[in-house]
Amino acid sequence: MKKVININFQGRVVPIEETAYDILKQYIDSLQQYFSAEEGNDEIINDIEGRIAELFAETLKKGSTCITDEDVDAIINSMGRPADFEADEINLQSKAENENRKSQSESKGAGNEKESTIPPPLNRRLFRDENDKVVAGVCAGLANYFNIDRVVVRVLFVIFFGALFIPYLILWVAVPSTASTVIGSMRKRLYRDPENSMIGGVCSGIAHYFNINVWIPRVLFLIPFISFLFRWTHFGPWNFPNIVNFSFSPGATIIYIILWIAIPEAKSTSEKLEMKGEKVDLNSIKSTIQQDMVGVKDRAKKFGEEVKERAQEIGASISQRGRTTASEATTVARRSSGGLGRVIVVLFKIFAYFIVGIIVFSLVVSLLSIGVVFAGFLPYKVYLINDGWQTVFLWGTLLLFIWVPVIGIITWIIRRIANTKSHSNFMTYSFIALWTLGWACMIFLVSSLTKDFGSNNTPKEEMVQLVNPGVDKLEIKNASNTNDFIRSRWWKFEPFANVDDDTVFVKNIEIKVVKSTNDSFSVKMFRVSNGSSRAEANALASKINYPIYQKDSTLILGSGIAITPQEKFRNQEVYITVAVPVGKRIIIDRYVGWDNNDGFHFGNGFDEYDWRKYNNNNDNSDEYDWDHNVEYIMTASGLKRVHPDLNNNDGPDENTMPQNNQRQPQDSTYRYQQPNQQKDSVKKISASAVEKENTTIKTVSTLFMQRFLI
Amino acid sequence: MDIQNTQSQMRKGVLEFCILSIIRHGEVYPSDIVEKMKAANLHILEGTLYPLLTRLKNAGLLTYRWVESNSGPPRKYFLMTDEGMAFYAELESTWEELAGAVKTLTEMSPENIETETPNHNQ
Repeated sequence: MKKVININFQGRVVPIEETAYDILKQYIDSLQQYFSAEEGNDEIINDIEGRIAELFAETLKKGSTCITDEDVDAIINSMGRPADFEADEINLQSKAENENRKSQSESKGAGNEKESTIPPPLNRRLFRDENDKVVAGVCAGLANYFNIDRVVVRVLFVIFFGALFIPYLILWVAVPSTASTVIGSMRKRLYRDPENSMIGGVCSGIAHYFNINVWIPRVLFLIPFISFLFRWTHFGPWNFPNIVNFSFSPGATIIYIILWIAIPEAKSTSEKLEMKGEKVDLNSIKSTIQQDMVGVKDRAKKFGEEVKERAQEIGASISQRGRTTASEATTVARRSSGGLGRVIVVLFKIFAYFIVGIIVFSLVVSLLSIGVVFAGFLPYKVYLINDGWQTVFLWGTLLLFIWVPVIGIITWIIRRIANTKSHSNFMTYSFIALWTLGWACMIFLVSSLTKDFGSNNTPKEEMVQLVNPGVDKLEIKNASNTNDFIRSRWWKFEPFANVDDDTVFVKNIEIKVVKSTNDSFSVKMFRVSNGSSRAEANALASKINYPIYQKDSTLILGSGIAITPQEKFRNQEVYITVAVPVGKRIIIDRYVGWDNNDGFHFGNGFDEYDWRKYNNNNDNSDEYDWDHNVEYIMTASGLKRVHPDLNNNDGPDENTMPQNNQRQPQDSTYRYQQPNQQKDSVKKISASAVEKENTTIKTVSTLFMQRFLI
Repeated sequence: MDIQNTQSQMRKGVLEFCILSIIRHGEVYPSDIVEKMKAANLHILEGTLYPLLTRLKNAGLLTYRWVESNSGPPRKYFLMTDEGMAFYAELESTWEELAGAVKTLTEMSPENIETETPNHNQ
């Protein structure tokens, strides 16, 4: 479907397609430019136009309803483009001069020959020679200008490369190319090429723009993707350096998608011509930038006005008082001199840009970081999420709820900067639709997960048989020190301490120290779990296989609770109560379990209250705070440090853990963060992830929507 | 040396002469000139022809008259002036001279050249 317009061409009304008109106009313009130096150029153009008009009349007579692109192209081909008859020009000019000379002195054929070998004295202007260039045609242009051999100039340039490099660049920018004057020059623009596309024509469009082979941008887009596949194989536990990887590979895809959306498709012929138009070199880039700078200024101004209007609207709607103060302010502003008012306006504008810039930036960054944290969950997906709908919702949440607005905002910024006018609201609506779908996915995911965590099991107290309960000092250690390795990583998802191929170990082990009623150590264990029903929760709890055994004076605990993809993570947790008799000592290794705080869990798990409720030794159930790697002794009044001088604090009861631990000498040399701090930070990231989504995203997204819809 | 460039130089050198030789026979419309030259296997773009005609006209060698057309705008028919006739005659004699010279040179058998070169040296 094309728009047809009527034009008055050589005194005739000609119906012509709009795009065909564009081509025709460009052609006539190029002719006019080409013949501008010629005597009687108007006449030449007129003659050519007359002939074109005649050909149009013939086409219309044959029964065509209007002149199409093809008609114009055919006519232009038969008439010839300026580039085609350029060689003529020089030749004919020299001929015209020959004629003059001939009329003066009657020379013969031999003379004619001689004269034609002499280069015609063209009007002296320095051009970069596009036809005979090595880099940018500067040398050839200089040689032409000074009428010396271009080899000489080139050799000079090569010898004095160091000194002449910058002058070369300056000349490159400053001197126009011969190409820019010959053909009716038009600005080259970046379009997507739909005719030569693999996916969206982005690469071929870029290739047209830079006049390079299509495969160069294609390969550039593919290389990171291939390396991404390589890296993916040891993606394993998501560690921090992988973010570099991340920015490269899906990054390429995201960039492609953004370019796909941001770059318009070359639909009409004039757009296609623009796409393939003039060669891009430093000159055209320079002029493009100059034009763009002017454009940006205008746009910035417009944007500022919008912001101001918006601010005024908001201000007006807040309260009546606000309005009166605003009017007062304006009257004050009016009263003050105009110059000062303008300065204030400018300052306000700068401030507004600043604020808007920060909001947009933080918005994108926060969304991105949420997306990254979410991506951090992915390797653990199988341990938490059921197959089927839950997985679908998870992907929906990740892609639609988080990445769609990121892409949307970036696209919007690009389009805003590039001043690309969208032809319809299609994109806006599709973004909103996708995002709404993302919201739905998120809500479904959260609700279905909530249901899966809905019920508790019935915890049973289990006695752990000790081989030698009468020892003086009980050391509690981990079965293996694999955590050592894990903890040295940049980033790890704390509660999932260790990942094998099909098993993840959750360090949800909580150790409580109480006073024993008799003179021997005793250890009790609670296995707790959540599930969609009580039966399921009980089943999951009974499946927890947590080994505890005593070896001499050491109590060895498993390093974590094994979670397999079949038995999902449903807040499985082990509570271990160690009863210490009065006068005996206990030391808990730094790798073992959590202390008196709750472990990692979603929603309501087993907690302090439950522990007290199910603990049978009600009279002795006062638990004591303890730190890792500190030796304690049980006294009649409670747990006391054996070496209180090592940490000059009052007592374990008033411990504020992180501070306390930092003072411990053995920890100061150890670069790994203290478990307490870590746990807190993890809680911040993970346990409140849902909250974050609900609050920050909501505010952030409403802001985004507001800006996007303008 | 660029072969295409040499070829076009050769061709364009005689273009003017050829055009004049067509117009010499009487009033003619530019696109007819193109057709006639095409028939003689000498291709020319109309975009090249029009400026050439204008130049010749401005030099006083050609003149034109408007003829009403029923298939478009009025047409410009070109015809030769007396000055143009004289110019053509001069060109023709030059051409014959040139053509003769070229013919003898190109058709010269290798023996002749061989016999000629030693003569030069002696």
